[in-house]
Amino acid sequence: MATSLELSTRPGPDGTAVVTAVGEIDMSNADKFQDALSQAAAGGPVVVDLTRVEYLDSAGVHVLFAHAPGLRLIASPLLVPVLAISGLSDVTSVRDDA
Amino acid sequence: MSSGQAELAFPGDGEMAHRMREYSWAGSPLGEPGGWPASLRTACRICLTSRFPMIVWWGEDLRFLYNDAYLPLLGNKHPALMQPGDQVWSEIWDIIGPMLDSVMSTGQATWSEDLLLPMDRHGYWEETYWTYSYSPLQDDDGTVRGVFTAVKETTEQVVGRRRLAVLQDLGALAAQARSVTEACELVVRSLEGAADVVPFAAVYLRGPDSNPVLARSSAPDAGLSPVPGGPGGWPVADVLRHGQPVILTDVIARFGELPSGGWKTPPAEAMVLPLTGGADGAATGAIVLAASAGRALDEAYASFLGLVAQQTAAIVNRAVAYQAQLRRAEELAELDRAKTTFFANVSHEFRTPLTLIMGPLEELRARIDPADAVAAGELDVIYRNGVRLGKLVNTLLDFSRLEAGRMQASFEPLDLGAFTTDLASVFQSAFDRAGIGYEVDCPPLSAPVYVDREMWEKVVFNLLSNALKFTFSGTVRVRLSQEDGHAVLRVTDTGTGIPAAELPRLFDRFHRIENVPSRSNEGSGIGLALVRELVGLHGGTIEAASTERAGTTFTIELPFGREHLADENVAAPGDSHAAAAAARPFLLEAMRWLPPGTLPPGTLPPDTGDEAPGLTAGRVSADGQPGPDAVTRVLLADDNADMREYLQRLLEPSYQVTAVTDGQAALEAARLSPPDILISDVMMPRLSGLQLVAALRADLRTAGIPVLLLSARAGQEASIEGLEAGADDYLVKPFAAAELLARVRANLDLARLRTHHARWRAALLDSLHEGFYLVDEDGDIVEVNAGFADLLGYGPEGLPYPPKGPWWPDEQADPEGHRLATEALARLMTDSTGSFTVPLRHRDGRRVWVTGSFNEITDPEKGRRMVVGTFRDVTTEHYAVQREAALGAMGLMVSRAASAAQVLQEALGELARLWRASEVTAATWTGADEAMVTSTGPADSWDALPAGLRDALAALRDQPVLTPAADGPGGAGIRLEHPAGTLGIWVDLGPGRMFSAEDRTLFSLVGGYLGQALHRAYQTDQQRETALALQRAILGPSRLPAGFAARYEPATRPLEVGGDWYDIIELPDGRIGIMVGDCVGHDLGAATVMGQLRSACRALLLQDASAGAALTAMDRFASSVPGGECATVFCGILDPGTGELRYSSAGHPPGIVIHPDGRADPLEEARSLPLAVRARIERTEASYVLPPRSTLLVYTDGLVERRGRPVTAGIVAAGTAVGEAGPASLEDLAEQLMTGLAPAGGYEDDVALVLYHHPTPLDVSFYAESEQLASVRAQLRGWLRSCGIGARIAQDVLVAAGEAIANAIEHGHRSRPGELVRLRAISTANQLRLTITDSGRWQATPPGDRSLRGHGIALMRALMQQVTIEPGPAGTTVDLYLRINHGHLA
Repeated sequence: MATSLELSTRPGPDGTAVVTAVGEIDMSNADKFQDALSQAAAGGPVVVDLTRVEYLDSAGVHVLFAHAPGLRLIASPLLVPVLAISGLSDVTSVRDDA
Repeated sequence: MSSGQAELAFPGDGEMAHRMREYSWAGSPLGEPGGWPASLRTACRICLTSRFPMIVWWGEDLRFLYNDAYLPLLGNKHPALMQPGDQVWSEIWDIIGPMLDSVMSTGQATWSEDLLLPMDRHGYWEETYWTYSYSPLQDDDGTVRGVFTAVKETTEQVVGRRRLAVLQDLGALAAQARSVTEACELVVRSLEGAADVVPFAAVYLRGPDSNPVLARSSAPDAGLSPVPGGPGGWPVADVLRHGQPVILTDVIARFGELPSGGWKTPPAEAMVLPLTGGADGAATGAIVLAASAGRALDEAYASFLGLVAQQTAAIVNRAVAYQAQLRRAEELAELDRAKTTFFANVSHEFRTPLTLIMGPLEELRARIDPADAVAAGELDVIYRNGVRLGKLVNTLLDFSRLEAGRMQASFEPLDLGAFTTDLASVFQSAFDRAGIGYEVDCPPLSAPVYVDREMWEKVVFNLLSNALKFTFSGTVRVRLSQEDGHAVLRVTDTGTGIPAAELPRLFDRFHRIENVPSRSNEGSGIGLALVRELVGLHGGTIEAASTERAGTTFTIELPFGREHLADENVAAPGDSHAAAAAARPFLLEAMRWLPPGTLPPGTLPPDTGDEAPGLTAGRVSADGQPGPDAVTRVLLADDNADMREYLQRLLEPSYQVTAVTDGQAALEAARLSPPDILISDVMMPRLSGLQLVAALRADLRTAGIPVLLLSARAGQEASIEGLEAGADDYLVKPFAAAELLARVRANLDLARLRTHHARWRAALLDSLHEGFYLVDEDGDIVEVNAGFADLLGYGPEGLPYPPKGPWWPDEQADPEGHRLATEALARLMTDSTGSFTVPLRHRDGRRVWVTGSFNEITDPEKGRRMVVGTFRDVTTEHYAVQREAALGAMGLMVSRAASAAQVLQEALGELARLWRASEVTAATWTGADEAMVTSTGPADSWDALPAGLRDALAALRDQPVLTPAADGPGGAGIRLEHPAGTLGIWVDLGPGRMFSAEDRTLFSLVGGYLGQALHRAYQTDQQRETALALQRAILGPSRLPAGFAARYEPATRPLEVGGDWYDIIELPDGRIGIMVGDCVGHDLGAATVMGQLRSACRALLLQDASAGAALTAMDRFASSVPGGECATVFCGILDPGTGELRYSSAGHPPGIVIHPDGRADPLEEARSLPLAVRARIERTEASYVLPPRSTLLVYTDGLVERRGRPVTAGIVAAGTAVGEAGPASLEDLAEQLMTGLAPAGGYEDDVALVLYHHPTPLDVSFYAESEQLASVRAQLRGWLRSCGIGARIAQDVLVAAGEAIANAIEHGHRSRPGELVRLRAISTANQLRLTITDSGRWQATPPGDRSLRGHGIALMRALMQQVTIEPGPAGTTVDLYLRINHGHLA
C-alpha cells in the first residue's frame, strides 16, 4: 500500500502559490512532494499548507529544506516537534494552525 | 536377504564370510540377520573382520559362529557353523561349558589364561593351551543372549616355557657334579621333575669295551627290558657307534607302556641321542629321551631334546674333566712335596757354586773396560742377583740350622750402643736417597750386653730394611735405652703400618702381609721370623706395635748379664769387624726399590731397568723384522727389572711383547688394548698378580684374556690360589725357558678353543624363543640372544646397552610405562629374583608388552653379581586383559551415563585413557554435511577443528563400519553406526606412535560396544523425551501467544506435572481462551485427572467460546472422572484487540488486573462452586475490559496460600508484587513472581500462573520497500492507541520508528533487496519499547550531517528518551525507549 498523498497548488489570496498537501509524507512519496514544490517555487515564494498532513518525517523535512529560503509553512501542532527539532522552523516561518 | 544386505552383515572375502552369507538363516534358530539384535550383528562383523580367532556363541544352546582365523584351531571339526556349542566342543565342554554358563547367567566377563584343553584335532589326543576371554553379548534390551570369545592359542608359549625351564634346571647343574655317576644321577633326577616334558629318560655311558652301560634311568621298572619278540631295545650301541641321534616311533611295540608323564596316553615316540664332546671326540655315552604323547615329536620337540642331550653331555663331560683335574692336582701336590724336600736338602749346596760365581764376578767387574757399558750392565745384573740369591740361601740355611738346632752362637759382651750405631750408619745413604728422615740415638748403656755379632747384625739390618721398605715419608728412628734391667732397642717408622689383625702372625715364618703399600713385593716372608728366632736365642723378646697409615715400632728387649746363656756359647770380646760385608745384600736389595737418583758414585751401580711404573714399549725382534708370530701380542708384567728383561728377551723372537712394571700398569695397558696373552708376576707393588687377574676378569673387555702367572711361591696351595683367581696357568720360578714358551703357546691355543665353546653357548641361547639378557653389576646389558633381538629389534651388535636401553618407554609419551620399567629395573638391581611386566618400545616404534623373570647369579669366574633374565612377548595377553578392563570400564561408564551424548563424551574419555591419547574426537553426521563434534579437547564445533583432523574424520565416512583406519603413525579412527546417522571417532596418539594389530582389534571391540551403548542410550533418551513430551502435553501449550507468560511448578519432583494446570487457547475467532485449574492432590494420579479436565475444557472452549457454558459442561464432565470433583477452574475468553475479558470461575481464587499505576482489581464476579460439587449449577459470566498497559494475573492457590495467613492477604501480595515490578518484561515478571512469592522452603503445593499484558506486543515483519511504510505505520498507530498513548506522543513514536524503518529499507535495498525488516513493540506499565531489526549495515553518520539520514537519526534521538543502534554482522538493531507518564495518556 503506497502512502497516500494528495498535492494541489493554487494561488493564495496574496497571489503567492500555495501548495496544499493531504495525507502522509515519507520516503516513498518524497519525490512527488519535491516535484510539486519545485514546480510551485519556479514562480517565486511558496506557501506550503501541511495542516492536513498526518505524518511527516525526515524525507519530507529534507524536501522542505531544499526550498527553505522564502518558504512559509502552515502546519498542525502534530508536526511542530518534527519541524522544530529538524531546525526547519529556524529557516522558514511556521504558522501553527491549531 | 539380498546379496547387498548379506555383504553388509557378513563382510569380507573369507571362507566363513562366504559360508555365513550362503547359510540358510531363515530356518535357523537365529532367524534372518536383518532381525538380529545390533550386538549380534556387531559381534559378527568384528568376528569376520578380525585376524584373531574369535567365536560368537548365541542363544540358549550357544550356537557357534566363528571366523577364518579360528579354522586352524577347529581342525577337522570344521565346518561347524551354527552347531550348538556343546556338540562342537563336546570333549572340553566340561571345562568351557560352565564358564560360558557363568557369563550367560551373570553377565560378567570371564577370562582364562593358558587353559589346558586336551584336544583331538590332528588325529591324536593333543595337549593344547588356550587363553580365552568370554564377554557377554546383550541384545537390544540389555539381556545377555550370547558370549563373545577372543581366543589365542598359547600352547607354543606354555610348552616353550616348560622346555626352557628344563634347560635352565639342567644348566644350573653344570658345575655341581664331581663324578660321572653323580652327573648322570643329577641329570635324570632333574628330568624326573619335568616328566610332563620328558616322561622317560635313561643315560648310558660308554663302557671300557665301548659297549653301552646303563648309568641311570628315570623308571627302574620300565623302558629297560624290551618286549620279547618285539622290534628290539634302545639302539644305544648304534648311536654310540655312529654318533647320530635316532628317532623311534614304535616305543610301545618295543617296551610297552612307559610312564606317561601325567598325560592320558603313554609315550609313543622317543629319541636316542649321543652325548658328544668327550675328550677323544667320540660320544661319551647316549641318552634316551621319550617324548610326551601330548605333543607330536616335531622339529621343535626334537631340537629341544637335542639341547637336553647337549646339556647332559656338557655336565657329564665336565664331571669327566673334573675328575681328571683332581687327579692332576693330586699328582702336582705330591711333586711339590718332593720338590720342597729336595730344595731343603740341596740349598746348602748352593753356597759353594755361589761363592765360585761371586768371587770371579767381583774380579771381572773390577777389571772390565768402563767403556763397554753393555757388558758392565749385564755383569751388574748377574752380580745383584748373585748377592740376592746368596742372601736367600743364607737365610734358608739359618733356618734349617735353627730347625736342626745346629745354630752356633757366640755371645760377646759388647757396648751395644756403639755396635748398633755402627750397624745403623750403614743405612744412612739409603734413607737419604729415599728422602726419609733417619735418626739414630744409641747412647752407651751402663753395662755390656751379651750378643752374637752376626746375629745382631741380621736383627738390625732386617728391621731397618723392613722400615725402609714400608715407609714412604717421615722419619725412621733407632733408639737404644735401658729399662727395668733390660737393654731396649726400638726401631720406629712412620710407614704404612700393619693391620691389627695381622700383628699376631707378624713373626710367623713365610707369613706375608698382603695389600700393604710397599716399595717392593720382593721378599720371602722369613726376615721377621728369623729376627724373632735370633732374639729368642739371646734370651730376649721382640714385639711390634703398629697403627695403620701411621707407623710401626719394633721393640726388642735383651737381658743384661749372661745367666740366661749357656756357658759354652759365651766368648770373650773379640775384634769388631766391618759391618759392610753383611750389610751389602740388604743395601743392594734396598737400593733396587728406590728411584734412580743421586747415588754416591761407585757405591752401587746405577739401575737401568727400574724406571717409574709405566709402559716400556714393545719391541720387535733384534733384526728389526717382526717375529714369526709377531701379530700375537704378549703383555708382560713384573716388578723385577731383571726378570722383565729376561722374559722379554725370551719371548720377543716369537711375539710382540709389551712390558710393564706392575699390576696397575698392566691393567691399564690391557684395557687400552687387550693383548692375546698376559704373563704376570704374582708379587707386585700397587696391584698384585692375583688382583690384576681379578680386575681383568671383572671387565668384559678383558675377561677373556688368557693369563699366565709366574711366582716364586711353590706349592699346591699357591697354585690353586692362582687358578681360583682366574688365571689360566701358573708357573713356578725357577722355570725353564722352554717350559714358559710351551705354556704360552698352549694357553694361546686353549683360548682359541674357548671361543668354540662360546659359540656353542650362543647357539643354545639363540634357540630360546624367549628374549634372554645378561646384566652386569652396573646394570649394563652385556649379552642378549636372538630372541631379544626379535622382540625388541635390538641385537647383540649394539652391546653393551645401558640399563635404560633404547627400548625404554619415553617419559613424556608414556609416563606410566616409564614408571613401570623404572620400578622393574630398580628391583632387578636389588632383588635376588623377581618378575615384571612392562611395556617396551620396539625399534620400529611398536609398543611391546613383555613379561619376564630374572635371577641373581654369581659369576663363577669373577664372583661378581650378575643378573640373568628372560622375557616373552605378552602383548596379546596384555591387550586381552586391557580389552576386558576397557570393556568393563566402558560398561560401568555406560551404566552411569544419563544420555547418549554423555555416553559418547565419557566413552571418548575412556578411549583417551586407554590409549593415552592426547585427544579423542568424535564427529556425528546426522544427514547434513555439518557434523556435531564431541571431543576431549577444546573444540566443540566442526569449524573449530584443525583441518587435518577434519580430513581424517571426513575420510572415516567412507570407511567400513567397525574397521579401524590406522594406516599411518599418529592416530587411528573408526566409523560406528550412530542411531542418528554416522559417527566417526579419531584417536590422536601423538606424533610417531603406531596402532598395533592388537590395538585395532581392541578398537573394533570397544567401538562395537560403544555402538551398542549409544543405541541403548539413544533409545532411553527417546523414551525420556517421549515421557517429558507427554507430560508437557498434559500440562499445557509449550508455545504461548504473544503477550502471555506462564509458569508451572509441580510440588512432586521429578514429575513435571501435578494437579494444577493452565491452558491458553487461540480460538478461531481471534480471541484467546485462558484457563487455570486445580485438581485435588498433586501426585501422578492428580496429574492424570488434571490432564483429562484440561483436555475436556480445551475442547469445550474450542467448540463453544463461552466461559460460563464451558464451566457448566465441565461440571458434568468432572463428575464422570474419578477424582475430578472439587476441582477449581478459572476460565476466561480474552479479545486481545479490545482487551475485553469474559470470565467465569468455579471456586477458583480470583484473577487480578493490575493497572499501570499499580492499582489491583480482583476479578471477583461470576464466581461459583468448584466443579461437580452440586448436580446442577447455572454458571454465570462476567466481563471486564483490560485498560491499556494493564497486566492480568491468573493463578492457582499454591501461589498465594500460606499457613497462618488469609488467602486474601496472599492475593494482595501477588498484586503488589506485579505493581512494583516496574518495567520488567513479561517473562522476567513471571520469574520474579515465582521466586519472590515462594516460601522459604519452596512451594508445598503445585503452582500454576498465567500472565497477560494488554495490549499484546506488536510484531510485524515486512519487505524492505518504501511502499510498506504506510501500512506498517497504520498498524503501529493502532497499537499505540490500544496502549492508550495520546496523539502527539504517538506522532513522536511514529516518526522515530518511521526513521528507523526508513534507514532499514535504504540499507536493506542497498545490500540485500527482498530482505525482511521486523518491527516489534512492547508496552509495560510505564514504558514503551520498540525494536527495529534489519539485515543491512548502516553507514556511520558524521556529526552535524544535514543529509536526509542525518536528519533521521537526529529526529529519533530527539523524539525518544533512549535510542541505541547496534550494528551486527547479520544486520542492525535499533532500540527505541520511551517512558510514559500521565501527560502522555490520551
